[in-house]
Amino acid sequence: MNDLSPSTLLVLVPLLPLVAAVLTVVLGRTLGGRSFLPALAGIGGAFVVALMLLAGTAREAGLGSGDHDHAPRPVEMVTTLWQWAGVGDAQAAGDAGSSALSFSIPVALRLDPLTATLLVIITGVGLLVAIYSIGYMHGDPGEPRFFALVAAFVFSMSMLVAASNFLLVYVFWEAVGACSYLLIGFWFSKPEAAKAAKKAFLVNRVGDFGLAVATFLLWLTYGTLNFHDTSLADGTLVPGILGASRLADASAYVGGAVGTAICLLLLLAACGKSAQLPLHVWLPDAMEGPTPASSLIHAATMVTAGVYLVARTAPLFVACPGALTLVSIVGASTALVAALIGTVQNDLKRVLAYSTISQLGYMFVSLGTGSLLGFTAAIFHLVTHAFFKALLFMGAGSVMHAMGGVIDMRRFGGLRRIMPITASTFLIGALALAGVAPFAGFYSKDEILSSLHARGWADTHAEHHESAPGGDRAAGLNPFRFATISSEAPVATALDAINTPATFRLLFWMSLITAGLTAFYTFRAVFMTFTGPTRVPDEAGHHAHESPPSMTVPLVILAALSAVSGWWLFSTHSLASFLASTPSFTAPSVAATATPLAFHWDIAIQGTLAAAIGIVIAALGHLGRRSDGPQMERFLGPFETLFARRFFIDEIYSGFIVKPLELIATVAAFLDRHLIDGLVDGIARIPLGCGAVIRRAQSGLLQRYALAGVIGTLLIVLALVARAMGQ
Amino acid sequence: MTPTDTLSPLVLDGLVVGAMLFAIGLVGILARRNLIVMFLCAELMLQGISVSLVSWSRHHGDWGGHVLVILVLTVAACEAAVALVFVLQAFSRTGRLDAAAWQSLRESNLPRSIDHELPAIDTVPPRFPTLTRAGIEPAADEDRLLEREHV
Repeated sequence: MNDLSPSTLLVLVPLLPLVAAVLTVVLGRTLGGRSFLPALAGIGGAFVVALMLLAGTAREAGLGSGDHDHAPRPVEMVTTLWQWAGVGDAQAAGDAGSSALSFSIPVALRLDPLTATLLVIITGVGLLVAIYSIGYMHGDPGEPRFFALVAAFVFSMSMLVAASNFLLVYVFWEAVGACSYLLIGFWFSKPEAAKAAKKAFLVNRVGDFGLAVATFLLWLTYGTLNFHDTSLADGTLVPGILGASRLADASAYVGGAVGTAICLLLLLAACGKSAQLPLHVWLPDAMEGPTPASSLIHAATMVTAGVYLVARTAPLFVACPGALTLVSIVGASTALVAALIGTVQNDLKRVLAYSTISQLGYMFVSLGTGSLLGFTAAIFHLVTHAFFKALLFMGAGSVMHAMGGVIDMRRFGGLRRIMPITASTFLIGALALAGVAPFAGFYSKDEILSSLHARGWADTHAEHHESAPGGDRAAGLNPFRFATISSEAPVATALDAINTPATFRLLFWMSLITAGLTAFYTFRAVFMTFTGPTRVPDEAGHHAHESPPSMTVPLVILAALSAVSGWWLFSTHSLASFLASTPSFTAPSVAATATPLAFHWDIAIQGTLAAAIGIVIAALGHLGRRSDGPQMERFLGPFETLFARRFFIDEIYSGFIVKPLELIATVAAFLDRHLIDGLVDGIARIPLGCGAVIRRAQSGLLQRYALAGVIGTLLIVLALVARAMGQ
Repeated sequence: MTPTDTLSPLVLDGLVVGAMLFAIGLVGILARRNLIVMFLCAELMLQGISVSLVSWSRHHGDWGGHVLVILVLTVAACEAAVALVFVLQAFSRTGRLDAAAWQSLRESNLPRSIDHELPAIDTVPPRFPTLTRAGIEPAADEDRLLEREHV
């Protein structure tokens, strides 16, 4: 396919799933049981194209050429499809002087290493989920609708990561939220599912508000909403927010109050989409949707949109160190709180939901360190998390399918004898999640912890890097410029006070504790589900056997990826150096923090120790036991209620936000019914009243009608006579 | 005929007669309940107008009024035909020539215009005293057998 240019390929990636979605909507009823075909073909085709794009971009970035001496140069390719909106003449903007703001929104897609990586993840996991859904959704009357929604979601998410304009990002941000709402509420006749879908949508709206206001501020501050550089009709260059010309200039990013405001609003948007504190409440309830949907959007792709946003706008965040540290704080607290809540959940999918929130918190912690290592570690964790979390969710779906819809772990046990493939792949996923070497999660978590360590203990970390193989080169690059960022910020804000090493030391310990808790609740779930005496609930009936190949093959593929991808990506340093060529990360403020590859033995040992402690405690409590006893209540005592009630956050929201809104709605309904409807009904009674009066003239008496005619004639004659007399 | 400026006494008398005829006809329509009498009064109004028109024509000295009177007479004849058919229909529907027979054609919440019931129609013809038969019964007349008591 040498004649297919990269821009055509880039357009094909979202286009194929879109066409598949439309076809499924139109032909779904006629296809019936084969309604998965368009979606499968569309997403499969998009995956192949995404792999081709990844190969092309990797070649462009000089990957595998063994040449690491030069600083990575930005790799980007922009395709503009058409001009969507534009206000004002380009000439007029030029005449009014350089302060005129141009509002032009082209539908432009930009391909760079970050986008290429995410496109492969989205389409790859999407393809595996589509294959899995063939078996899972078989026989469901809404099957065509499901596949149409999955294809539409893949389209929206691909456009979101490829879009090169903040307004386009907002459009597709909303689109993925809408697809998520439709998928969570897939079985809308079930009231809990409908309520959960509504809750997800409303909580996401709060984040969307943040993104909207951030877009407004970005346009006011930077004069354009495009990522890439554009030029007006008269040739003047309008530097894009993340365009090559702006990135080359070290001081082109606004700090201070405005910059921090933009960054905090972007963080709000990311919290909404990625389910961070305090907007995390929708994700556990979103488990009411079908498990493949949870696997795709609430584990691997949609919830990573927030991480993508922060990573994409890395130069903006690095210019505001206070906001950056807040990102880390939010991430670490979310990770800890979600891990604590996850330890007492009895529903397998809820455990995985809180695990997702917790791992997303890890990604935010890493993003907030502000170093190149931190950003690339977050994306690395995003990739590995997509693999093992999708695997775990699909395994849970396999269990649920076999148990006849029962997912409460207290009602079944010892399933490894009935479902060996599911059990072994789930175990691999759990090992990856817990961060056990050499599975994928170990490397990504290690990189996150080391980026935190670098910020918390800057000097010890410097020695560590100098002693590493590439250490002498590191000294030339001055890798620890981030330790001096705060003093070089153009305008400091009050929020910058939290940007201290002490903060990052605290966050390091929080993350380490969270790692131990992650291992604990993951293996608690594994032991409760798969070990112990084999028990099957009554609803299972004849379903209690291993799932069909359409469901187990994706599990095996993802298990293989979870096992080897971490080691392969880390040891070849391929992902980090590939991502370093992303335009956002080549900004001097970010790129200067590059550190050479080094394996941090001390952090690896600490991480593994935490994981091992977690697994051992879980084994002590749950390995081989009957899972229906009150083990967590005995173990935790009064804390169990706090965790089981999710720290009462839902109750706080209900009391402070939901109930007042319901009160206002009741008052408004009362006014509408009695005041406004009363007014309208009153106006309607006027013609009736007039009619009742005039009706009395219809007496039925012939002579009275004649009299009326005579009187009328008399009046006319009198008028004529009066006029004749007056003249 | 020569036009004149002031109203001559002949013209004035004609106008007065016309006005009187018109007024009597008007009052008759408003005051009578018998459908045929009401129609008769309408014809009376038309004739009053005709007399006035002839007088005015004499006053102006041209033939315009006369021509219009001929038109009015023609129209009155046609109208008579139509109106009498209507009266016949109304009579066959209710059996009486009283306009008050139609007083149910009013709004339901209004009172009756004639507050007493109309007298019932005599369905039985009055019996008159008869003499005993004498002499030879004459031959039955074909035409008389076809006569009806009422139309």
